Amino acid sequence: MANTSDTIEGAAVEAGTVDRPTPRRFGFGRVGRAPNLIGFILPFLILSLWQIAAARAWVDPVFLPAPLTVVTAFWKMATKQHLARDFVASITIVGQAFIYGSVVAVALGIAAGLSRKVEQFFGPTFDTIRHIPGIAWLPLIVLWLGIGAPAKVLVIAKSVFFPVFLNTLQGIRSVEKNYIELAKVLTLTRWQLVRKVILPAAMPSIMVSLRYAAGLAWALVVVAEGLSGLEGLGFLIFRAQGLLLTDQLLVCMVIIGLVGFAIDRSMYVAQKRVLKWKQGYDG
Amino acid sequence: MATPGHLEIRNVSKTYALPGRPLVNVLSHVGFDVDPGAFVTIVGPSGCGKSTLLRLIIGLDDDYRGDILLNGRRIVGTALSRGIVFQDHRLLPWLTLQQNIGLSLENSGWSAKEKASAIRDHIGLVGLSGFEKAYPHELSGGMAQRAAIARGLANRPEILLLDEPLGALDALTRVHLQAEIQRIWEAEGVTMILVTHDVEEAVFLSNRVVVMSANPGRIVEDVAVDLPFPRDRAHVDFIALKRRILAAMGEDERRPASPRAA
Ligand SMILES: Nc1ncnc2c1ncn2[C@@H]1O[C@H](COP(=O)(O)OP(=O)(O)O)[C@@H](O)[C@H]1O
Ligand SMILES: [Mg+2]
Repeated sequence: MANTSDTIEGAAVEAGTVDRPTPRRFGFGRVGRAPNLIGFILPFLILSLWQIAAARAWVDPVFLPAPLTVVTAFWKMATKQHLARDFVASITIVGQAFIYGSVVAVALGIAAGLSRKVEQFFGPTFDTIRHIPGIAWLPLIVLWLGIGAPAKVLVIAKSVFFPVFLNTLQGIRSVEKNYIELAKVLTLTRWQLVRKVILPAAMPSIMVSLRYAAGLAWALVVVAEGLSGLEGLGFLIFRAQGLLLTDQLLVCMVIIGLVGFAIDRSMYVAQKRVLKWKQGYDG
Repeated sequence: MATPGHLEIRNVSKTYALPGRPLVNVLSHVGFDVDPGAFVTIVGPSGCGKSTLLRLIIGLDDDYRGDILLNGRRIVGTALSRGIVFQDHRLLPWLTLQQNIGLSLENSGWSAKEKASAIRDHIGLVGLSGFEKAYPHELSGGMAQRAAIARGLANRPEILLLDEPLGALDALTRVHLQAEIQRIWEAEGVTMILVTHDVEEAVFLSNRVVVMSANPGRIVEDVAVDLPFPRDRAHVDFIALKRRILAAMGEDERRPASPRAA
């Protein structure tokens, strides 16, 4: 970083580092810079290989249809079938599950972080529930709530809850003692301490877990829809397998991958915005 | 303008009890007076209890014997009438410069307008105008330390404690900021207590230098510095005072090296 000498009087002697740091970026599609083309090379190679394999019939088209067939299948699913509806169904479940799970997790994480009593109250129960995978809850929840969206929302919200809860708790517990001391010197009230010191200090760790949880939620919706229900991308993908509609199966896979990618990048941008005070923060 | 505080430290002793180890006498019968508006520096080897003493005065620790009085009243807990600048600037990284300074005014009871003007005035006082919206990571070490001084002064305390505020800075910035602290002290008319182990810094800034020694932490000498401001570091009287204080610390450079060092 360049040490520009300050123009203001008095500070001229000091090496000011006031120019905004430009953090290292990699991959493609990172915000704020022209996309780096190197990230497109591998997808292009994979696509080419796929095309060649299909054209030369290295693999039976039943198992690996050509890229163009897949595009056609996409068009058919989008216009003649209800791809959009299934897509919205999946996104809605994930969105709801993510919001419910993370809001409750952050709230309880803060409470448990601030009070050992609250932590001890929830501790044993949570540590047990946490070790039963979300998907293992699904059969029971479906018995109760049916095969519709609520069961899936609940199960995915549970999977979102734990990483966010644990990271919030951890983030709050690891606030530097020096900052607490400063708050005392400035005679901050407990509420001011929480709002101005403890929460911002815990924010990096909360944001990391939210980004992770969002990706996890998207992956789980596919599994949950595959296991129960009659709509959603997860349902489509397993139905396609059953009917040997490999082209439709691939359409679903590509959509799932791209949406997951988009979710992760949006979370990255959100994280970056919230943590803009962090030096050289790069996710 | 702040009303300068009169600080009396009377026979203060402090021990730390660590489990499984003998009691440590960190401070033993420490006593001195700081006149309203005075600049007093405490020098001494590291570990002699300087920071501990400041923690007692600021009110972060009340487990001690003796009395600490500000304007005749025993201090209880922390209060906005006592400010401190730590060695690490301790600016909150998620707040901008002006928000950091504003944090010290949260409970001042002032109106938003008064707060804004106090923040602006003190950013100007420490020469950081133009950096109001900068985050701490965008400031150099010296600028961050200036910001910490502005935060310490913004709520117009009666007394400001400075715990080795320049300890982590390079020599050039240090000398520059010493002159700044001098100017700020005169401008604000606030009582200041500075802790340092730089004897030249002590003589340059203070009305009085209190020399401490370790094991147990105690006062070994109390030296009045009557030189006119601004001070000339090369003046014979300046150098003589420096020698005297170094001698009191047992670090007089004129003494032959101890055989151990040979
Ligand atoms: N919290 C503590 N518990 C036990 N001993 C401590 C604690 N804080 C400081 N000490 C001891 O007290 C002595 C004085 O420390 P300090 O006041 O930081 O010295 P100085 O600031 O003069 O370098 C040191 O020997 C240090 O080890
Ligand atoms: Mg110290």
